[in-house]
Amino acid sequence: MVATNHILVTPIYFIALPLFFAFLLPLLGKIYKSFIRIVPGLMFAYLAWMAVVLLLYVYKTGNPVIVKIAGWAPPIGIDLVFDQFTGFIATVIAILGFLVWMYSYLFKKVEFDNALKYFLLLMLIYAGSIGVVITGDLFNQFVFLEITGISAYALTAFYRGRDGAEAAFKYLLIGSFASTFVLLGILLIYTQLGTLNMADIARNIDKMDPTIKVIAFILLFTGFGIEAEMFPLNGWAPDAYSQSPGPIGAVFASMTSKAGLYALIRLSFTIFDFSSANELLFIMGILTLVFAEGIALRQEKIKRMLAYSSIGQIGLIMIAFSFNTYLGVFAGIFLMLNHALVKSLLFFSASFLAYNSPHKYIKDIQGFARYMPVTALMFGIGVFAIIGFPPFSGFWSKFYLLSAMAEKNFVILIILVLSVSLIELVYYFRVLHKLYFAEPTGEYQPHTPRWNAMLAMVLLALIIIAIGVYPDLVTGFIGKAAHAIMDKTTYINSVFSI
Amino acid sequence: MNTLVVLLLILFGGGIIAYFAYNIHKIVGDIWLVLVGFAASIYYIGYLDVSQVLNIHLAGFVLTLALNSFSWIFGLLIAVLLPLVALYSIPYMKGQDRLGWFYMLFLFSVGGMYGILMAGDWLTLFIFWEIMTWSSYLIVIYRRSEDAPRVGLKYLIFSAIGAYSLLTAIVLIGANVHSLSISKFFEVLPMHSLGFKVLVGSLMLIGFGVKAAVMPLHVWAPDAYSTTPMNYTSMFSGALSKMGIYGIGLIVINLYYHSGISLAGEIVAWFGAITAVLATYYALIQKDAKRLMAWSSVAQLGYIVAGLGIGTKLSVFAGIYLAVLHGLFKANLFMAIGAVERQAGTTNFSELRALIRKMPWTFFSALISVIVLAGIPPLSGFVGKWMLYESMITSGHYVIVVFLFLASVAGFLYAFRFLFGVFLGQEEKEFEHVKEANPFMTVPMLLIALFLIVLGTFPGIMFKYIARSMADLGFYGVTYKMSVLTNDWGQSINMQYIAASLVIVFVLFLIVLTWVAYKNSRNVTTKDIHTSGEPPSEEDNYHFSENFYRPFQRAFAFVYKYAITPVYNEFARGIEDFFQYVRRLYTGNAQTYALYVLLFLAILFLIAKNIH
Amino acid sequence: MSNLQILQITFYGAAILLIAIGLYAVVTKRNLIKIVLGLSIMDSGVNLLFITVGYISHKTAPIFSPSVMAKYKTIHAAAQAMVDPVPQALVLTAIVIGFGVTAVALALVVRLYRHHNTTNIDEIRNLKW
Repeated sequence: MVATNHILVTPIYFIALPLFFAFLLPLLGKIYKSFIRIVPGLMFAYLAWMAVVLLLYVYKTGNPVIVKIAGWAPPIGIDLVFDQFTGFIATVIAILGFLVWMYSYLFKKVEFDNALKYFLLLMLIYAGSIGVVITGDLFNQFVFLEITGISAYALTAFYRGRDGAEAAFKYLLIGSFASTFVLLGILLIYTQLGTLNMADIARNIDKMDPTIKVIAFILLFTGFGIEAEMFPLNGWAPDAYSQSPGPIGAVFASMTSKAGLYALIRLSFTIFDFSSANELLFIMGILTLVFAEGIALRQEKIKRMLAYSSIGQIGLIMIAFSFNTYLGVFAGIFLMLNHALVKSLLFFSASFLAYNSPHKYIKDIQGFARYMPVTALMFGIGVFAIIGFPPFSGFWSKFYLLSAMAEKNFVILIILVLSVSLIELVYYFRVLHKLYFAEPTGEYQPHTPRWNAMLAMVLLALIIIAIGVYPDLVTGFIGKAAHAIMDKTTYINSVFSI
Repeated sequence: MNTLVVLLLILFGGGIIAYFAYNIHKIVGDIWLVLVGFAASIYYIGYLDVSQVLNIHLAGFVLTLALNSFSWIFGLLIAVLLPLVALYSIPYMKGQDRLGWFYMLFLFSVGGMYGILMAGDWLTLFIFWEIMTWSSYLIVIYRRSEDAPRVGLKYLIFSAIGAYSLLTAIVLIGANVHSLSISKFFEVLPMHSLGFKVLVGSLMLIGFGVKAAVMPLHVWAPDAYSTTPMNYTSMFSGALSKMGIYGIGLIVINLYYHSGISLAGEIVAWFGAITAVLATYYALIQKDAKRLMAWSSVAQLGYIVAGLGIGTKLSVFAGIYLAVLHGLFKANLFMAIGAVERQAGTTNFSELRALIRKMPWTFFSALISVIVLAGIPPLSGFVGKWMLYESMITSGHYVIVVFLFLASVAGFLYAFRFLFGVFLGQEEKEFEHVKEANPFMTVPMLLIALFLIVLGTFPGIMFKYIARSMADLGFYGVTYKMSVLTNDWGQSINMQYIAASLVIVFVLFLIVLTWVAYKNSRNVTTKDIHTSGEPPSEEDNYHFSENFYRPFQRAFAFVYKYAITPVYNEFARGIEDFFQYVRRLYTGNAQTYALYVLLFLAILFLIAKNIH
Repeated sequence: MSNLQILQITFYGAAILLIAIGLYAVVTKRNLIKIVLGLSIMDSGVNLLFITVGYISHKTAPIFSPSVMAKYKTIHAAAQAMVDPVPQALVLTAIVIGFGVTAVALALVVRLYRHHNTTNIDEIRNLKW
C-alpha cells in the first residue's frame, strides 16, 4: 500500500531501463563496441539487485509496492503492482535475465551487428515479460505481451542458417491470433465496465452482462493460453524453442511462458470470478502435461525434446494452480521457480551439446561427456533436478504438488502425474546415457563453453542445489506469494489505497 | 552433537572428500576409504546413541532422525559389511578409472541407507531413499559397458515406480494423518478406514518391494546385480536390498498385524514364496556365476518376505535372522565371484574350470556361504530355515511351506552348480596362471565366513539383538537360548552339539584318511581319469558345463515358458508407439496450428454456458 | 430502426466481417503473403470494432480546445459532448503494434522465400512432430 517513489528503487525501472537502453544501444555501440555487451549486463545486474531489494522490502513489511504512472491514480492511470506474487515472479525473471546475459556475454563476439541485435532484443523481451507480470492494467498487459511477442519472433528467426524463419512465422501467426483474441476480450470488458484497470475490473466484474463476461473470458483465456503454451494452442512452441539461439530457449522457458502463465492465472484468480476457470485450467493442464511429455518421449532432437518437456511442466503448473488451495498455489509457484531455474540450466547446457552436434539429433551427442565434462555434468544436474531427486530443488516442488493433490484425495491424478513423470525420466535418462556411454562417433571440434557461460551454468546449478538442500531459502517468499495471489480483496484494496 | 548426524556426516562428508582424495592419488583415496569405512562402522557399533532424536524443521515439515532397535539391526549389518567391502575394494578396483566418483557414490549410497534406517518420518525416509537410489543407479552404470544404459535405465525405471508409489503413500499419509511421523502413523492407523489402510499399505509395499526384488517387480535385479562392480554388488544385494526388507517389515507387521488385516500379510507371504520358487528356478539355468547369484538373491529375499508376511512371532524372527544372514553370505558370495572375475577374467560357467587349487581361500569362503545359503547344518542358514519352516507349519501355512521346500531343494542344485562350475571339475591350461586373490580380498571374505560359522554355532549372539528389535515391532517376550533351538512341540536341538559332533567327525575322518592313505599316495591331477577304459589326452576335457540341469529344465519347462520381462517391454513399446502416433498432431503446418486454436475457441464457446 | 442504429450495425457488421475474412484467409490461403494480408485484415477488423464501440453519434472529438470550451462552458458539459477517448488511444497503440507485426511478418516471408524458394506454406514444413 506504499507508493515507493524512491529515485533508485522503483518498479518502473524494470520497464523503463531496458526500453531506454535498448534504443540507446546502437548509439552506445558507435562510441565503444563493447558497450553493447557491457551496458545490458550492468543494467540486468542492477535490475536483479533492485528486484531482490524490492522483494525483501515487500516480504518484510507485507506491503506491496504500487506505482502510479504519470501521476494518475488507478483506475484512471496505469499502475505497476509489485506485490508478493508479482514481485516474486518478476524477481525470478530478473535474476534469470541476468544469468542469460552472463551466459551470452561472449556469445557472438565476432559479429558486432549480431551481438547488437541480440542484446537489444533480449532487453526488449525482458522488459515485455516483466511488464506483463507487474502491470496492473489489462491493455498495458496486452502491449507488453506484444513487445514480448515481436522481440520473440525476431529472436526465433535470429539465425539465418537454420529454419528459424519458419519457426518464427508459425509463432507470429499464432501469436497474432493471441493478440487479436486478447484485444477483443479487452474490448468486451471495456464496453461493459469502462475501465481497463485489473483491480477495477475485478471489483466490478459482477456488473457485467453474464454472456459477454463469458465471451470475454473465453477470448482472454485462449489468447493468454497461446502465450502460456497450453495444449492445443502450442503448435508454435516446440519450433520456436528449438530454432532460437540456445539461451533464448531458456528465455522462453523462464520468461515468456511465465508471463503468459501469469496472465492466465491473474485472469482466473483475480479478474474473473468464474469457479469453472479452475476446472478449465485443470483439464487443460492435464492435457498439456500428458500430450507434451508423451510426445517428448519420441523426440529425436534434443532442444525439441526440451521444448516439449517445458510445455509439459507448464501443464503441471496449471494443474497445481487449478486446485485453488493454498498448498496447490504454493506448489504451483514453487514449480514456476523451479521450472525457470532447471529448464534454463538444461537449455544452457543442451545448447552447447546441440551446437557441437552436426544435425542436433540426440544420437549425435553421444559420448560428448568426454569432450565437455562440465557441460555434461550441468546437464546431468538439470536432469536430476527436473526428475525430482533429492537433494535437488525439483524434489520439493514435486512433493508439495503431490501433497496438494493428496489433500484433495486425487489419487488417480497423483498416479497420472507420476506416470507422466516416469515417461519424463525415461527420455531424459536416455539422453544422459547417450551423453555418457556411447562412444563418440565422429571427429568434430567441440566448442567448449567459455568462462562466462560456464559461470552462469554453475551458478544456476548451485542455486538449484542450495534450494534443494535448504528449501526454506524460498519457501517464505513462496508462501507469501501464494497468499497474495489467492487474496483478491487485498489486491484490489491495495491498488486503490494509493 | 547428535551422534546420528555425526554418522551421516562421516559418510556423506567422507564421500565428498573421497572424490578429491582419489583425484590426488589412488593410495590417498584408498586409505581414506578404509578410514571412513572403519570409522563409520566403529562409530555405529560403539558410539551411536540410539536414544537420541533430532528434529529438523525444514520447508514446513519436521524431519526426524531417530534410530530404533529394529532399524539398528539392519544398520549393524551395514556396519559389518562396510569396512570389509572397503578393504576388498582396494585390490578389486585396481586399474579402474574415475575411482573418486565411484567411491563418492558408494559412500553416498551407504549414507542413504543409514538415513533410511534413522528416519523417524516418511519424508526423511523418502529423501534418503532417493539419494540411495540415484547413487546406486550411478554405480550400476559406472562401468561403461555396452549393456549399462539398458540395465541402468531398467533399474531406474523400476526404482522410480517404487519411489513414486512410496511418494504417493507418503503424501496420502500427510493429507490424512496430518503428520509424517512414522510412529504416529502406526499409532493412529487402526482408526482409519479399511480402504485407506489397504491403499497406503499396498503403495508402500510396492515401493519397498521393488528394492526387495519381489516378483513381479524383480526384473531389474538380475541385470543390475550382475552389471555392477562386484564390490558394490555385495553391498547392493547384501545391504541395499535389505532396505526393502526393512520397509516391508515395518509395513506388514505394523499395518496388518496390528490393525487387523491379516489377509494382506498372507498375500505378501505368497508373493514372497512365489518369488522364492521362480527365482530359484531361474537361477538354475543361468550360465554366468554373477547372474546365478543375482537370481539367487531374488530367491532368498523371497524367503525373507514370506517370513515377514506370515507375521507370527517366530516367522518374523526367522525373517529378520535370514535377512541378516543373507546380507552376510550373499555379500561374501559376490565378493568371491568378484575375486574369481578379477583373477580368472571371467565368470562364465562355460569358460571357468576347477579353480579350487588356485584359489583355495576364495573357495573356502564361498563354500561356507553356500552351505549357509542352502541351509545345511551346522551353519546358521539351517537355523534360519528351521525357524521359518516351523513358524509356517505351526501357523498352518502348509502350501507355502511346500513352495519354500521346492525352492530350497532347487536351491541346493544351483548352489552346487555354482561351486562346481567355478571351482570344481577338470583343470585347464588356460587357467594355470591364476593365483589366489590379494589378501585384502580374501581376508574380508574369510572374516565373513568366520562370522557365519560363529552365528551358526551360537545363533543366540544374533538372537539377542533380534529379540530386542522384535519388541520394537510389538512382539514382546521373545525367548531364546544361546545355541539351543526349541520348537513348539517340545523338542530341542543344541546347535553346539551338532556343530561339535560334525567337527569331530570331520576331523576324525581327516585323520583316518590321512593315516590310511598316506603311505601309498600319489599326486593325482584332475585329468587323471578314464573314459570307457581309455585315458583321455591332455587336450580332452570332460568338464560338464553346458546345459547343466537339462533334465530338470525339461521337467519344469512350463515354469520357464512364462516371463514377465516381455510383458513390460510390450507395454513400453505400446506407449512409445502411441505417442509416436500422437506426435503427428504437430503437423508442422502453421495453418493446422491456427485451426487448432480456432477449434479450441469453438469448443470453449460450445461449453460456454457451463462456465459460471 | 433509426439511421443511427443502421449505421452502428453496419460498422459492427463490417468489423466482424473483416475479422472473419482475415481468419478465413489465414486458415485457408496457402500463400504466405496472403496469410500476412489476412492477419492485417483481422487487425483492421478489431481496430474498427474498437472505434465503433467508442463512437457515439453526434458527439465531437475529445479535444478540449478553446472553441469547444467556449461552446460548452464547463469541462463536465464538454466531456458529455465528446466521444470516449480511450478506445481511440487504444486503437492507435494497436495499429502501431499491428504495423510492427506486419513488418516482422513480411521480413520473415522474405527470409522464408530465400530459404525455401517458395511462398507456399505447405512446402515449408521442415519442423514438425
